[in-house]
Amino acid sequence: MSELTRDQIRDLMGEVMKAQGKVLPSDDSADLREIGFRSLDFSELALRVEDEIGDELNFDAPGLRQIAKVGDVLDFIEQLQSA
Amino acid sequence: MTGQRRTTALIGDDNRVVVGGKTLTWRTLHKLPQLPSPAAVLVDNGADALAAVRHHAVHGTELLVATSSRVDLAMREELGESGFAVVIAGGDEHSVTPAKLKRVEESGRVWLLTSGSTGRPKRIGHTLETLTTVRGKQQPRTWLVPYSPGTYAWWQVVTLSLTQADQGLVVIEPSELETWPMIAAEHGVTAASGTPTFWRQTIYRDTEALAKVPLEQITLGGEPVDQAILDRLQEIFPQARISWIYASSEVGASIVVHDGKAGFPKAWLDREPDPEGERPILSVDGDELVISSPHHGAGLEGAHRTGDRVEFVGDRVLITGRLDTDEINVGGSKVSAGLVRNVLMDHPAVAWARVFARKAPLVGRMVAAEVVLDNDLGPITDADLVQWCTNRLPDYGVPRRIRFLAEIPQKETLKSDV
Repeated sequence: MSELTRDQIRDLMGEVMKAQGKVLPSDDSADLREIGFRSLDFSELALRVEDEIGDELNFDAPGLRQIAKVGDVLDFIEQLQSA
Repeated sequence: MTGQRRTTALIGDDNRVVVGGKTLTWRTLHKLPQLPSPAAVLVDNGADALAAVRHHAVHGTELLVATSSRVDLAMREELGESGFAVVIAGGDEHSVTPAKLKRVEESGRVWLLTSGSTGRPKRIGHTLETLTTVRGKQQPRTWLVPYSPGTYAWWQVVTLSLTQADQGLVVIEPSELETWPMIAAEHGVTAASGTPTFWRQTIYRDTEALAKVPLEQITLGGEPVDQAILDRLQEIFPQARISWIYASSEVGASIVVHDGKAGFPKAWLDREPDPEGERPILSVDGDELVISSPHHGAGLEGAHRTGDRVEFVGDRVLITGRLDTDEINVGGSKVSAGLVRNVLMDHPAVAWARVFARKAPLVGRMVAAEVVLDNDLGPITDADLVQWCTNRLPDYGVPRRIRFLAEIPQKETLKSDV
């Protein structure tokens, strides 16, 4: 299966939030701590992306970076898909 | 049931044996030609397997019996090099590949292959004596034999029938597993032993058919036994005694629990040996179950580390799964896959569940699950199950990815990969 678009990744992120009884704001600059998006949620999002694309993401490829905002998550997953 | 027997093993020689649609007795089973000794008899049906056992009981032939599918070509080579003639049984016809190593037989020796769940199957030596763990006089019963020939659980039922009067057998071939309740009801099966997976599959397929079997004794073993399956069976069979047994080729039948509860009482740990030496000694080292058992295999005297993980819940000791696969480390927080599975299985709409670790970023591993639903109980989504688990488990123990399967997977050993 081909890579997911940024919008598709955002949809999946919204599903992760919804499953936790939370809502994903539309603003990419929203702070992850403030919206309650935790490391377990990020990990779940990665697994959802893997299930959608039918392939494992290579987390070793990109360098460590700060992921503080919604946009950072979307950037990072986009980058992982093409790594 | 009178007259002289060559061995006490043949006390049950006139017990009824239903196999392949025929009603026979041990005595009237077809006879195998004189077997070489040692012999590894590979079978494709229950009748040949029972015939090999009776041959052993009469002649003392050093014997390993297993299904052909469990013994691949490499293992057949190994058996030949270990002194076994490999016999492919096929009713009245059979083929023999002579042993490559000539050695003196161990008369009376029976060999079992371990299930191989922890790697390649190993050979464990027993005798009919060490395999016969039920010695007291039993109520007359007709036992179901759904197990694969040659496994410890199979030997348990088979030796019971061979060594006790009035203990009949109804053998279920692999092709009959889906419809066994009909066969069992037809032949009046009153006792059945199976893995939790076997029981779940049966309930899942056709509870009504199962309820028509006149079961008085239900036994579970071979896998961790959770409270949900015990309760469900008790609902269907309120009059039956429901037992679970912890047994393995290595330590034999070591824990037998009849109180209808999962796990065993904590008070059973580290008890003084009984004067007869019949009672296994149970202990826990770290979180591993350790057993010294009088029913052990040859050369396995003393304390045996089982590799099974236990957890204390109230006054019970629960066996949650294999140590090497049960513990899931989620970002430094450890959770037992077996306990998560129990929570899922407690959901009324879940017929079966497997819990496992999935590699994940940031936390290293995450809890994931595969689930088979009981479709009679309405539509259930993964979000429903996540919510169910969230209310009962720490957040790191909640399976975040749940995949629904159409049916319960099962291996030849009647176990699933849980």
